[in-house]
Amino acid sequence: MIKFDNIQKSFGIGTPDEMQLFNGFNLEVSEGEFVSIVGSNGSGKTTLLNILCGSMLIEGGRLLLDGADITKLSEHERAKYLGRVFQDPQKGTCSDLTILENMALADNKNKKFGLGAAINKKRIDHYKELLEPCQMGLENRLGTLVGTLSGGQRQALALIISNMADIRLLVLDEHTAALDPKSSELVMELTTRFVKEHSITTLMVTHNLRYAVDHGSRLLMLDKGLIVLDRKGKEKEQTTVESVLHIFNEISIESGN
Amino acid sequence: MPSFLGACEVFLTDGFMYSVLALGFYISYSILDFPDLSVEGTALLGGMSYALLVRASYNPWLTVLVAFMLGSIAGCVTGFLHVKLKIRPLLCGILVNTMLITVNLIASVVGMGGNLRGEEALTTIPVGRQFITILRGFPSTLLPTDLGGINARKLIVLFVVATVCKLLIDLYLKTKNGLALRATGNNEQFVTTLGIDPGSSKIIGLAISNGLAAVTGTLVVTSRGNANQNMGLGMVVIGLASVIIGLSVFNKAYFFKDTTKVIFGSVIYQACLSFATYLGVPSAYNKLLMALLFTVALVTSNFTTKHRSDSRD
Repeated sequence: MIKFDNIQKSFGIGTPDEMQLFNGFNLEVSEGEFVSIVGSNGSGKTTLLNILCGSMLIEGGRLLLDGADITKLSEHERAKYLGRVFQDPQKGTCSDLTILENMALADNKNKKFGLGAAINKKRIDHYKELLEPCQMGLENRLGTLVGTLSGGQRQALALIISNMADIRLLVLDEHTAALDPKSSELVMELTTRFVKEHSITTLMVTHNLRYAVDHGSRLLMLDKGLIVLDRKGKEKEQTTVESVLHIFNEISIESGN
Repeated sequence: MPSFLGACEVFLTDGFMYSVLALGFYISYSILDFPDLSVEGTALLGGMSYALLVRASYNPWLTVLVAFMLGSIAGCVTGFLHVKLKIRPLLCGILVNTMLITVNLIASVVGMGGNLRGEEALTTIPVGRQFITILRGFPSTLLPTDLGGINARKLIVLFVVATVCKLLIDLYLKTKNGLALRATGNNEQFVTTLGIDPGSSKIIGLAISNGLAAVTGTLVVTSRGNANQNMGLGMVVIGLASVIIGLSVFNKAYFFKDTTKVIFGSVIYQACLSFATYLGVPSAYNKLLMALLFTVALVTSNFTTKHRSDSRD
């Protein structure tokens, strides 16, 4: 479904600190997979997502979505096919707008932003239905400014908003990392339920090995731009946190972290 | 020494007149966080084109619309420089403003019968009694010019123009495009994930705000009776001060829309200036006074409204 084909990516080109991260990186994700990506800092997890979403340019290689080459599409053009939740709860929603306004905007994704009324009152019940499953009472606070919500509430909202239009792929960029442990659990639980219900192909980057092991259908570990672990199906189900942690530590020792 | 009533008349008419400019700054500065210096050039562009077209006997209201469009085009240039050529907002404004000095000079000289070298004609365009301006055309003619010693017609016409601009902006901000504009100023990344190009949103916003600056130019020319090459000077300070005063003085007044607060801000700012004149401060000190007032407004707004103070971020 999504294919990274021979990706080349370096940082600091032309400076003494030039560093090649990806040299012919390949990855193929099939329809309906929920891929968790782990790896230490600098392993290339977040760069991978940035390349996918178009927020970072690459020097070589192609990105294929359903067989179509999307390498040359700009970030906002690609966004048509992608839903994205960021690590920073402030990025996925607009603080100065109300919950209703945020949802109305997301509801109009992939349509024309013309001079029609922004808020369609007939859709409000639908918005409430979407919010109800998070059990945060957001459905009764549609007029609240998003800036006044807690981080967990904002991430839950961002998650719902990311999938309001028909998207092909959900991209979660350490979306629980900035939350307290309880909110983090809650958002992760919501995520799994959400991905199952919509059976949407998902790429999730996380620092939490347990989340990566417990959730998702495929587990990837990256190190210095290489895939060092790729488990799916039965093999993934049998993977334990301890075994992943073991591999993780070995790599860390090798690279002197 | 002007009468007290006269001073009130001046600050009300000037307040409404410059509130159109301030509404433009509300969009560019307050919503998009873009301090746009090009308005000094676009206000002059609007005033200049209005003066020339009115002298050529075109319908004055139609002429105001033409001025709006010319201003919008200049705003698009500012936006283009910033969005496509990645030039910083302040520099974009300075560049467009400087370009417009030449454009306005040549346009007015040629319009007054001079040559393309910018010679052999006046650079000030008078709009005398014989020409039909928005005050001397229908439907303004239905209003009395004098009501108890006050030029009621001017006051009412400017009030109506300001109100119409405010209502149109309110309407626009409720549309999908308008909501996307507000979101762009707040969170570009969010807008991008919705498949919107934040760059085009910004260009639209700058087009509107510069269009409004050009309309203000037409009002200034109407009010003064001529267009001269210096009339744009100080517009940035007037516009920004009005927005900042309006939004900080009425910070807690939730029942007023921001656009209403901006109009109030503009009137308050002009009231302060008029009051100084009333007290006998010579007009040569005006610009210094304007800048000082603006400084006070900036400093106080830092205390009253911490930027986006209600949110947890």
